[in-house]
Parts: sequence; structure tokens; C-alpha cells
Amino acid sequence: MTHTLHRRGSAESLSEDYVMLMIQAIGHNEEGHIPKVQEFLRIALRHNAINIGSVSMGGMIDKAEEVIANVDKVGHAVFGNPEDVTAVLKEVKEADLGISVVVSGIYEKVDGCLEKAGLKHHTGNFSLGVWGRTEKLPEDEILEVTTMCGHALIAQNLVKEMVKEIKAGTKTPENAAKLLAPQCACGVFNTSRAAKLLKAMADK
Amino acid sequence: MKIDPELCIACEACLPYCPMAAISMKDDMAVIDEDECVDCNVCLKSGVCPVDAFVFEPAPWPRSLRATFSDPRTEHKETKIAGRGTEEMKTNDVTGRFHRGWVGMGCEFGRPGIGTRFRDVDKVAQVLAKHGVEFEAKNPVTFLMEDPKTGKIREDVLNEKVLSGIIECLYPIDKFEEIMDALKEVAKEIDTVFSCEVINRADPDGSYPLRKLMDKLGISYRINGKQCVGLGKPAADV
Repeated sequence: MTHTLHRRGSAESLSEDYVMLMIQAIGHNEEGHIPKVQEFLRIALRHNAINIGSVSMGGMIDKAEEVIANVDKVGHAVFGNPEDVTAVLKEVKEADLGISVVVSGIYEKVDGCLEKAGLKHHTGNFSLGVWGRTEKLPEDEILEVTTMCGHALIAQNLVKEMVKEIKAGTKTPENAAKLLAPQCACGVFNTSRAAKLLKAMADK
Repeated sequence: MKIDPELCIACEACLPYCPMAAISMKDDMAVIDEDECVDCNVCLKSGVCPVDAFVFEPAPWPRSLRATFSDPRTEHKETKIAGRGTEEMKTNDVTGRFHRGWVGMGCEFGRPGIGTRFRDVDKVAQVLAKHGVEFEAKNPVTFLMEDPKTGKIREDVLNEKVLSGIIECLYPIDKFEEIMDALKEVAKEIDTVFSCEVINRADPDGSYPLRKLMDKLGISYRINGKQCVGLGKPAADV
């Protein structure tokens, strides 16, 4: 499960893309974890989460209560700036839920969030990029959208189709991003960032 | 995955949804290239088909691996493990799986969006085994190995294609350079891609020894990554 690690993009674009997750440790603290993950998601919603989700429900910011009611082992939340991440970290720390929390984003930015929240790194996960037959990969601009679903469930051709529709005026970038979002089974797709990326492709 | 020819109305709406681009039009009907299809269920679960023409019936072994590795919403019936990987570093504050002085490594084959046959996973796993890595016992790819000491993956699954499959392993940090060199060489021999990642327990001051080592060796890593922030309980002694 490295589903939030390998997100691609420029520093400017990634500075608007953070994922937090809360996950039980099997065999250690799964008993009674569900209300704690639910509380985490409610905290996330109070601080402008762009998307929330769980593996069982996918991401549905429009049906947040449904996602929260059906949460299982993991809760995910997506944010667009370090200030919201910091606010969530502070509240989660204060709530002392006792379930592991992971933050994905630009190290430099996340480091600042942790410091402000009075937290330290415990364990880090570094992406060394893509190896092997990289000539098989689509263009970087497509990957910037598709890698926001770490399970690779968003097809590159669907992204290209959305760009065509934006160009043709049959979809807005926001509507196109909303159509892509449910393909991501965990709810870690950043619809705000996706809309910007799709618009940039369509404007070319 | 199959498309019911009696129901398909050739609207072509489903074509762009397939992550493997395995759906095409033939004789005025949408058809799936079953060899390329990884049974991820995206076409079915997207709800894009206006006449519900997609039909998924669980496949027997070894094809059954396609769905369990490619659809994160399904469980590995064979391995009894959910998902394509494990909790890895996410819960390290509680499990203590990654100790100081060690490197966790993941090679996720087929990602992003290319897919992989297990024969490519096999090639890399065997090379890593020769360098003495410890494969994660609870990882579904490890379950497919004839012997985790050799990394050899069983013959009957080598041609199966999945959206992604992860090798997860562990080794002492002093082997990092050697493993990176070996990985670079074997990466030239595979017919797909893999996303590579490394995991490291922070020192008490919050710094990562592996990060310093990567900087020293000139090994580049992305500006963004993932960090466990130590809020889990009971806290592991690592």
C-alpha cells in the first residue's frame, strides 16, 4: 500500500496537494478503532478537506457522512494547503486517538506542519521514481493526474477524454475532475488540483 | 471481465475507462482483450455502461490473481491478505517493523498505469534475493515465491498480468548502495516499469540517516513523500 507516495508534479502544483490517513495496526490496536477513524475524518472535514474516503466506500466528499458511517480499516483525507494540514494535526494530536497517522506531501512543507503541531517524524517513505521501461509511460502531464490514484485505477485515456471534453466546452475542468474522482477507490484523488491540471492541458 | 454481446449497444462509452486500454471495438461491438485485461473491475464499477453489459465471474487459479492484485477492493483469497501490499511504514510507530539502521524497500511493478506480468517481478526478486534481502512474509508477492530465499516465483503464475504487484523487503543500511546498483542493472532487463521506494526510521532528532546517505551517493528522490508522525499507540520500541 504505497498509494499516496508516488504523486507526480511540479513543486508549485504539489504544494497544493497533501494526503493524510489514519490506519489501524493489525494485531495491535484494531479493537475500537472505527470510531477513532471516524473522528479523524470529522476533524478533516472541519478543516476544508477536499476529499475524504475509505477503501470500502471510495472518495465521496459530496456524501461525507456516508463515507464516515461505512469506514473500515483506513480513513483518508486530502488537503490543498499546509495550514489545513497543520490544523488537523494539532486537533488529532489533542484528541489522542492512538491510531497511526501518515502525512504525504512535499517534505519541506510537511516538516513545517509537524513542527507547528509539536510533532516529529517517526518513519519516512521516499520515492525513488519510476525504473525500467519508462518509455512506456504517458506524458508527464497525464501522470500528474493519474498518479493521484495510487492504485492506478484512473485510465490515461479517460484523462485524455476529459481534456477533449473541456476543449470542446462539453465539460468544465471541475466537472471533469469530479468524473475522474470516483474511479479512485480510496478517496485520495485531489479534485481541486486535478481541475487545474486538466484546464492547463486543455488550454494548450 | 467480459462484455455480454447480446447487451452491448456499441456506444463506445466504456473504451477510455480501461486502465490497460484493453477494450476496443470489433464488428460493431465492444470487446475485451482477455490476455491484457487485469480484472481490475474499473469498467464494471464505473457504472459507465448504460445497459450493464459487463460481466465479471471470479476466475480459477492462477487467473484469480489478476483481480486480487488489481482491484484494491478485493481480498487475496489465496494469501488471506487484503490489498496488494501491507501496512508497511504506515503503522511503524506501533508495529516496529522498521528499526533504526535498516532500510525497507518496495518495488511496485506495473505502476504507474502500465501493468506487469509476474515474470518481470520474478526477475527482480531473484536478483534481490542474491543480495540477501529479507522479503516481507505477509506480502502477497512473497506468498507466490517457491522459496523466499531464492525469490523464485512459481511457474504457473508467471504469465499472469496485474495492474500492480509489490516486492517488499528489508536490508541493513550498509547494503543500500549495493542493492541500488543491482536494481539499476536488472531494471534494464524487464518489460515494464516499477515505482521504487525506500523506508527509514528517523533518528531521535527527526533526521533520516538514509536521506543523508542518498544525498552523499547522489541518489535522487522526489521532493514529496510520506511520513508516519508517531501518533499510534501502544508505541513500539524502535
